[in-house]
Amino acid sequence: MVVIVWFNGSYRKALAEALIEAGSRNSSVVVLDADTPKSTGTLAFARKFPERFINIGISEQDLVATAAGMALAGKTPIAAAFAMFLMRAWEQVRNTIARDKLNVKLIGTHAGLSDFMDGASHQALEDIALMRTLPGFTIIAPASPAATKKLVLEATLNHEGPVYIRLGRDNAPNIHTDSDEFHIGGSKIIEDAVDVAVFSFGPMLGVAHQAVKILRKHGIQAGLVDVYTIKPIDRDTIIKQSAKANLVVCVEDHNIHGGLGSAVAEVLSEAMPRRILRIGVNDSFGASARTYQQLLEYMGLTPERIADKIRGELG
Amino acid sequence: MSGERDAAPILNGFAHSLLVTEGPLLGSKDLHLLVERAESARRKLVNFLSSIGGWHAGSSLSSINIVAALYGHWIPSGSVKGIERLVVISKGHITPALYVWFAAEGLINEKELETFAEPWSMLQSHPEARRLKGLVINSSGSLGQGLSIANGIALASRIDGTHREIAVLLGDGELDEGQVWEAASTAAAHRLDNIIAVIDRNMVQHTGPTEMVKPKEPLAAKWEAFGWYAVEVPNNAAAIAATIEALSELKDKPKAMIVRSRG
Repeated sequence: MVVIVWFNGSYRKALAEALIEAGSRNSSVVVLDADTPKSTGTLAFARKFPERFINIGISEQDLVATAAGMALAGKTPIAAAFAMFLMRAWEQVRNTIARDKLNVKLIGTHAGLSDFMDGASHQALEDIALMRTLPGFTIIAPASPAATKKLVLEATLNHEGPVYIRLGRDNAPNIHTDSDEFHIGGSKIIEDAVDVAVFSFGPMLGVAHQAVKILRKHGIQAGLVDVYTIKPIDRDTIIKQSAKANLVVCVEDHNIHGGLGSAVAEVLSEAMPRRILRIGVNDSFGASARTYQQLLEYMGLTPERIADKIRGELG
Repeated sequence: MSGERDAAPILNGFAHSLLVTEGPLLGSKDLHLLVERAESARRKLVNFLSSIGGWHAGSSLSSINIVAALYGHWIPSGSVKGIERLVVISKGHITPALYVWFAAEGLINEKELETFAEPWSMLQSHPEARRLKGLVINSSGSLGQGLSIANGIALASRIDGTHREIAVLLGDGELDEGQVWEAASTAAAHRLDNIIAVIDRNMVQHTGPTEMVKPKEPLAAKWEAFGWYAVEVPNNAAAIAATIEALSELKDKPKAMIVRSRG
């Protein structure tokens, strides 16, 4: 068993740093939270810029529509909540933010399986499917603390329009360095595809990276792409990397229905049909676990299990 | 990364820009004229409703006096006083009243009414703000969201030190939505005394009488319990206009104005 020692980063710490920097660089930035600033990472902003921080209380629908009002008045609101409970306000996001193309940045924290202890009620495995259908919405899912910081700043300071940023809790793979560049609409090739092209994002990018190393020991050359922009997805990179490979694999901590696997399938089925193995949460809910590693094992999403599935598919 | 991006205050420049005016609008003569304008609009509204098969006729008819008072008096009188006043429509299905009023006041072309609800029309069945620039701030149609939006504008205005008042037009049936009460708590928590919730208390909702579906009474007491001032006025354009003008002077709490149709 591979012990997951590379998950030593924290999304919320990175978010906290990004928010302070965004607030320092642009006075129109305001942050709203639904009574979880200690958990999401907005607390540091609240302490530094109390006049620009609103704790709306435990009311996510109000959170989203209040942020919309602040955007109408010229602010750049960043509304943060657990991804699961932000989805409670999906209809508000659709009808009030998306329809009017408002400049609101929604940050869904504790997404995917990252909130291992809290179990199925808290594990957002459907958010990408929900958000991908909203016209004009940009969806970003950084893997590392470095990417989180850069992409939150990019989305906030340099991008006009609604953005959903999907973050885990902690357990972030430090797979990028501070000198890596990220831009909205882009992806990052970690390793070029040969036999297999693997696409992943967020915390699972670290797991997929380990799976790729295991495959190499078995003589299988697998590439890996960090698809940190889920929408608009980087079609060119997906097509070029897939063209080289016999098998396309998507790895995600999301329901395989409507997530990255679906997005990649949409691109390839139109441009260049390929056999696609979708690895993720197979139409089920999560579970509570004592450690992140334990939950990945329970869900069949450890590097070994992923490598086994890919080897099985190659035959 | 360039850092400081120009903030684009959407409200500045176009919201309600067509409605501001100059000159006195606060006298009894103005209120008398307002009632006449509202009555004239009501007659046009009845004809318009018959031309569109009576789409949301009841709600439009009960709200025409409110629309007249807010757009025809309250916003212009604010501009005379140097206060930027904004209306957030939360009950989006009153577009027949809204559009007829805009046409009657010359803010949109009367011919435009004939295109109501056609796909390419600026006059969508529920308001699309991006097609109604200068007249409508927010898109609506899904109930329960307007008060939160208004709170957001008020909170932003407080940060900026901008003097704004925001009226939110809500239906009484709409008060079934839990988000209204989330937002009512937010407004009270932040003492947003520049928020005025105007409730069209027409006593009916989609299925029937409001008190049979989900009782709203004691309505004023509910708002007061949430930390608001609450007043009741009869559904009359002059009464609505005079009362909402007076509400500006009340400080420290948000205000609810319950506009009662004859039950």
